[in-house]
Amino acid sequence: MRRFLSILSATAFSAVFSATLLPGVARAGEASVPVLVPLTGFLSLEGTSQRNGAVLALKDAPADVAVRSEVIDTGTSPEAAVTALERAAGGTVTAVAASMLGTQMLAMLPLAQDYGIPLVTVSGTASITEQGNPWVFRFFPGDAVTKEAHARYVTEELGKKRPAVIYQTTAYGQSGKAHLEQAFKTLGVEPVFEEGVDPAAKDLLPVLTKALAAKPDVLVLHLHSGPTALFIRQAAANGVAVPIVAGSAMHQPSTAALLEPAELKGVCAETAASPISGGNPEVEAFTAAYRAAFNAEPDAFALGQYDGIRMVLAAVQAGAGNAEAVRKALSAGTHQGLAMTYRSDGKGNMAHSAVIVCYDGASRVPAIAKRYDNVTGVVR
Amino acid sequence: MRRIVHKVWALAPTLTLPRWAAEGMMLAVLVAYALLYASPYGLRVLTVAGVYALAAIGFQIVFGLGGALSLAHGAFFGLGAYATGILGSQWGWGFAATFPVSLLVPLLLALLVGLPVLRLESHYFALATLGIAQVVHLLAVNSPALTGGANGLPGVPGIMLFGWAVPRGLPLAAVVWGFVALGGLLAWRLARGRWGRALTLVRDDPLAAGTLGLDVGGLRLAAFTLSAVYAGAAGALAVHTQRVVSPEVLEFPVMVSVLTIAVVGGRGRVAGAILGAVLLLHLPEWFRFLERSYLIVYGVALLATIVLAPHGLTGLLDRLFPARPAPLPKPAAPPETANPTGPLLRVEGLTKGFGGVRAVDGVSLTLEAGTITGLIGPNGSGKTTLVNLISGLEMPDGGRVLMGGTDLAGQRPDRIARAGIARTFQAVSLPEGASVLAAVAAARLERDGSIAQAEAHALWALERLGAADLAAKPCAGLPAALRRRVELARALARQPAVLLLDEPAAGLTDGEKAELAGHLRAIAATGTAILVVEHDMGFLLPLAGHVLCLDQGRPLYAGPPEGVRSDPAVVAAYLGEGA
Repeated sequence: MRRFLSILSATAFSAVFSATLLPGVARAGEASVPVLVPLTGFLSLEGTSQRNGAVLALKDAPADVAVRSEVIDTGTSPEAAVTALERAAGGTVTAVAASMLGTQMLAMLPLAQDYGIPLVTVSGTASITEQGNPWVFRFFPGDAVTKEAHARYVTEELGKKRPAVIYQTTAYGQSGKAHLEQAFKTLGVEPVFEEGVDPAAKDLLPVLTKALAAKPDVLVLHLHSGPTALFIRQAAANGVAVPIVAGSAMHQPSTAALLEPAELKGVCAETAASPISGGNPEVEAFTAAYRAAFNAEPDAFALGQYDGIRMVLAAVQAGAGNAEAVRKALSAGTHQGLAMTYRSDGKGNMAHSAVIVCYDGASRVPAIAKRYDNVTGVVR
Repeated sequence: MRRIVHKVWALAPTLTLPRWAAEGMMLAVLVAYALLYASPYGLRVLTVAGVYALAAIGFQIVFGLGGALSLAHGAFFGLGAYATGILGSQWGWGFAATFPVSLLVPLLLALLVGLPVLRLESHYFALATLGIAQVVHLLAVNSPALTGGANGLPGVPGIMLFGWAVPRGLPLAAVVWGFVALGGLLAWRLARGRWGRALTLVRDDPLAAGTLGLDVGGLRLAAFTLSAVYAGAAGALAVHTQRVVSPEVLEFPVMVSVLTIAVVGGRGRVAGAILGAVLLLHLPEWFRFLERSYLIVYGVALLATIVLAPHGLTGLLDRLFPARPAPLPKPAAPPETANPTGPLLRVEGLTKGFGGVRAVDGVSLTLEAGTITGLIGPNGSGKTTLVNLISGLEMPDGGRVLMGGTDLAGQRPDRIARAGIARTFQAVSLPEGASVLAAVAAARLERDGSIAQAEAHALWALERLGAADLAAKPCAGLPAALRRRVELARALARQPAVLLLDEPAAGLTDGEKAELAGHLRAIAATGTAILVVEHDMGFLLPLAGHVLCLDQGRPLYAGPPEGVRSDPAVVAAYLGEGA
């Protein structure tokens, strides 16, 4: 019931928000930013975070920028994402908060280029910034960044040389696995075990057992939220002593909520940011505002999308009166966001920092263990 | 709930507008919307609806007409998509080359897997086809070098027609709907023709279809492969509309969408596929403003549609705009066959066991032209099994079924039917949704060149049995005696040399039995050899010239009917040892 009320209130909030739309053509000081994100399907948790981050940024828009927006669910199919973008493109659009699902982004890119609409996303997967499309801006470190940080933490900080890599058989998983493989190779480490896991798998003990049979000194995960929690729970239940360094899904409060603090003891994860871990007053203010608005805990996706939309709004405030001007501002400018400083690498990759967070076994709030800034990524 | 639906239906007016005019008006509205009103977004939704309409038209063939719940349809859709995606984005092939390949790849897979899985019945078939879909999906995800893996492949080119790059919006919608029109027209003609009628009978009663000379396996395989071609075409167009191919095109939601479109639109109908696709693709868009809650409203709307229109949107149209009954054809006798003489069918040492039970154990008999032979015996004595063995519905363990010097034992029912053997069933089986004329005409589908010819011959058969006035009536709701007569007419329409009747007098009144006996004598008088399985001695003994009695699968008595009542073994078998 609480969850239902939360959804209802979020929907009502969005409806009221949409009702404040200003009609007519966007001028300098006006921003029309549709939010096209996956609210249903296997990525609904992450998509909701993305939505909330975008909505909060639009709600906190500078006073002299009038905002128009609507939220459209893209599900998880490329087809629905293209339809949603076509729908949004029916009006004047400043920029779009676009799906974090890589396959949806790949489908939206040609249309965004045709219509001249900047896509602001937190998708960390797939080669969305490798298509030569000048209309995509990623406010979440790509796998080239996060997986370098992931591999470096495992080898340089933990001193491990025999990682077992367990990844998801999805775009997210395959992309992460490819980058991890390259990062470990550069660091002179060869995984002793690699296996893909279907996201629908209900028991990960078989893959855990097989991985342990290879005698690894660290378990490196790159799984979605649910499978990450399941794997860690089964590892804890079986008394596995090998340390676990997970992918960004682990940092999500919704993932930690699936586990007991004791089960999380010693587990670390890579991510772009961990807003609930605090760090500075601005991030803490963001976390408080997020909790108040959505009755939920923010994660790195919410913060990344928040920062991305804030950069769009800052561009509009600075005089970017149309989509092309916003694109130029995003391409050439620098933005001091809450998670990090963003600037484009010329391909639309705006985020170049990653952090490693670790759980102490006493709470579900991780502490930042290591920060990696200005990471270029090993796959170029 | 059912009562409420019936009350709502009762209130619904029946409109005088012809159904074709109503469908034409709806089409005109759709075209006017596309040409005059639709935004690029509206055209995009319409284009995707066209893609799904094409996929659903194909699904109507295998599921709607053929009655096979193929859950591989989504996989065929995905294969077509991947063929276009890989060849277009990686190999640089154009539409003229990729599109035929996108039809060919699903066709080949359907042929490959169709032969083994089409032998399975109902839910086993569904599960097997679901397995195929899962395997194809896994291959796509785990073959990144070829398919791009879970990321898929971007950069699929648009459609190029005769050097013209079809742009998004109205031109793309027109091209996609052009394919829908072509595919729809082909499917409509097939469904209304002999092939479609035969397939419908295979769906409704595969056993009867086989005994009417229809190659059940061949028809199912043809439907399965043809539907795969439609799915492949739809998948190819889907990829051209979204310019990227990824494993989502192979996932179960695609299959569920197509299935829902077929059911909501109206099973087996091309118009149903189109109406269903247009409605189901637009419905979620109307409620998008509700964010994730739209799924609840969407689900309720779907449920309401299914409850209020249980036969789909086309069923609703049928109700509101009932089709005018087609005029009956003039009855025409089929071409004369040579009047047979002498022994027509010889059964030698036929045996059949089920586990440890010998249902038929070394039975031999001969059916002479123009004679009626009675087959009697207590329940479980092997009478129906013997008829099933002769007609090919059961495979004998041993023995021969000779007709014209050819051993038919173990052959497929349709081959045995084509050799000149027709039969009726103990439990009359007529397609409930068909008219009497269509049900009887099914017997001629394999022989006649057109539906019109088959119906003219069917009316001739009905006339012979004094049942021509039933021709326009639906089979559903016919009383038992009339159902038996229609079934007999259907067997008679085959112009069989040998006619096997399984308890044709069951449930008839004395007057109806006498009438039936007269018809059977008249049929025998034309040279047909008749075998009648019957319990009613008062009906059978005066009718038959020869009687065979079985007990526990073995012949107990063979001889003239007069000897039956006095044969102590027969009396003991029927009435008990002490009788």
